[in-house]
Amino acid sequence: MSRQGVSRREFMRLAGTSALSAWPAAALAGGLPQAAQQTAPGPFLQVALVPCPDYGPETLAAAIRTGWRSSRPPDVRGKRVVVKPNMVDVSPDRPIHTDPRLIEALVAHLADLGAREIVLAEATSHNRDAEDLFRRAGYEALARRQGVRIVDLNYDDLTPVKCVNPKATLLREIALPRTIGEADILISVPKMKTHKLAGITLSLKNMFGILPGMVYGWPKNTLHWNGIPLSICEINGTVKTHYAVVDGVVGMEGHGPIMGTARKAGVLVMGDNALAVDATAARVMGVDPARVDYLAMAHKLRLGSVRPADIQVAGGAIDRFRSDFVLDPEYAQLRMVP
Amino acid sequence: MMSPRLSQAIDFLKARQNPDGGWGYADGRASLVEPTGLCAIALGAADGAAGEAGRGLAFLKSCQKASGAVGIGPRDEDGGWMAYAALLAFHALGAGPEEQRLKDWILGFEDASGRFSKEEVAIVAERYRYDASIPGWSWIPRTTAWVEPTALFILALRRAGVPATEKRIRSGVELILDRRVRSGGWNFGNPSSKSYELEASTMSTALALAALGAAGIPESRSAVGAGLRFLKDMLGRDVSTASLAWALLALKSFPAGASSVAGVADRLSRLQATDGGFRGNPFETSLAYLVLSDAPGLVALPGAGR
Repeated sequence: MSRQGVSRREFMRLAGTSALSAWPAAALAGGLPQAAQQTAPGPFLQVALVPCPDYGPETLAAAIRTGWRSSRPPDVRGKRVVVKPNMVDVSPDRPIHTDPRLIEALVAHLADLGAREIVLAEATSHNRDAEDLFRRAGYEALARRQGVRIVDLNYDDLTPVKCVNPKATLLREIALPRTIGEADILISVPKMKTHKLAGITLSLKNMFGILPGMVYGWPKNTLHWNGIPLSICEINGTVKTHYAVVDGVVGMEGHGPIMGTARKAGVLVMGDNALAVDATAARVMGVDPARVDYLAMAHKLRLGSVRPADIQVAGGAIDRFRSDFVLDPEYAQLRMVP
Repeated sequence: MMSPRLSQAIDFLKARQNPDGGWGYADGRASLVEPTGLCAIALGAADGAAGEAGRGLAFLKSCQKASGAVGIGPRDEDGGWMAYAALLAFHALGAGPEEQRLKDWILGFEDASGRFSKEEVAIVAERYRYDASIPGWSWIPRTTAWVEPTALFILALRRAGVPATEKRIRSGVELILDRRVRSGGWNFGNPSSKSYELEASTMSTALALAALGAAGIPESRSAVGAGLRFLKDMLGRDVSTASLAWALLALKSFPAGASSVAGVADRLSRLQATDGGFRGNPFETSLAYLVLSDAPGLVALPGAGR
């Protein structure tokens, strides 16, 4: 069971006080602060919106190159790069997981740029049969083709990390998989989807999948009891995502993240600030990011920004890509006013 | 009789024991309770491995807290789901006092069923079609109970001699039956989400069936029959090593599964690598070894008495 009702009340309580002042900057993967600070007037975050009408290898390779160039990508030369897809489950009928063709194109791109090691890592969230899921998702085969390692984060060695939130309770000490802790560069590659408990799920929510099930359960119910918005912010405030690529070629609308239906948006959303990427992807989906609990909370905590004025979007006006995803009726209030 | 190939699994496990006496999920990984529990049982059941089994048992004892709790490793103060494997090992290897303290802790293990208000129970019933007030076992204490940890604890308690009539076991059985996917089988524990029926999975179904078998629920119960049919259907597809091993245990738990046992056992055996291991994983290797060899520490055949 989710504790969404409780988490919302908790959010409102927090939002009404000064508790949501920025947390101290975390310095984990890569040793850089998560929080993005505005140093001058005008947009200080950059996101690339790239048309990508299909999963053909040439289309994907070109789109990734374009998006990478038009954003502020990390320097991956000589680095250990961990790619985190979204694989909450796998279905032949529904686009639940990040498409393996996108992951493969990204892996090839990172290799071309000189990454020393590329690891594909995931802690599946409620089906703990990762061997089965990695195989059915197509990740096992692509890893073999590209010569990269797959890590089931659910059973990785653990590094305890102090949560950036000084008032954290259930996540006071985060059990972080060693693969994540030792990454030089962490790249979140979620599927663009609606979510029955969070409204939408993109690169910040995707980070639920770095926490190991053997500590947090399948599903990661501890995070639900902690409150979904707060858990998302505590994880992302503590562990830096260096880059995000949202798979919006074909996303999922309706009763996501598992039982929804395919929705073609024909776009990749890329950038080095996960919150700005998610805010932009939300607008593509016809969702007002300021109305999404966890994005609003992350904004208040200065993990980036959801404000259009703070985000320079390369690749064209968002309206050009807008494709209103069908929302779960419970989240109808998230719809962006045209 | 055990095949010479299968006995190589023991050599694989011996070679991967950590200096602290435990095993991880892969060679060189930190020792954890679940792999150590099953590896220790496997070595305890094999010839010429008593020393290694004893060191594994010592690691497990070092993980037990004053409350009796066992968590994922020595640093885990709160205890959790991996305690099932410690209980199996304490029982199989004759660690009586530790076994009794752990049994008491497991029987007192609280999930979240008592924390839900009536309104929340009603919301869950409407949205997810299950009864959240039924106590079972969760992965971590004081959170929501799910099918797999409930099944694992029932299995371990029954192997350790706790009667099926014990209140927590009966409640756990009730939870598993309540959480079944209506068209057959089990998933992690949400049979539905609003109007959508969620899909069952091989591993969850195998574990649920093994637990129900251990608790003496007959295959004539519709949920068991539908679960067995689902499992057999899934076995016609590609199945992971761990799911295949748990499925074999489930099939061995019911007379109706008997006709499938030889084929599944052969299929599992063929996954053994030349180094004697299964996927290089000590946990999966020990699980496969125990199920294929009918080791009484884990397997109880129908009619063989429990």
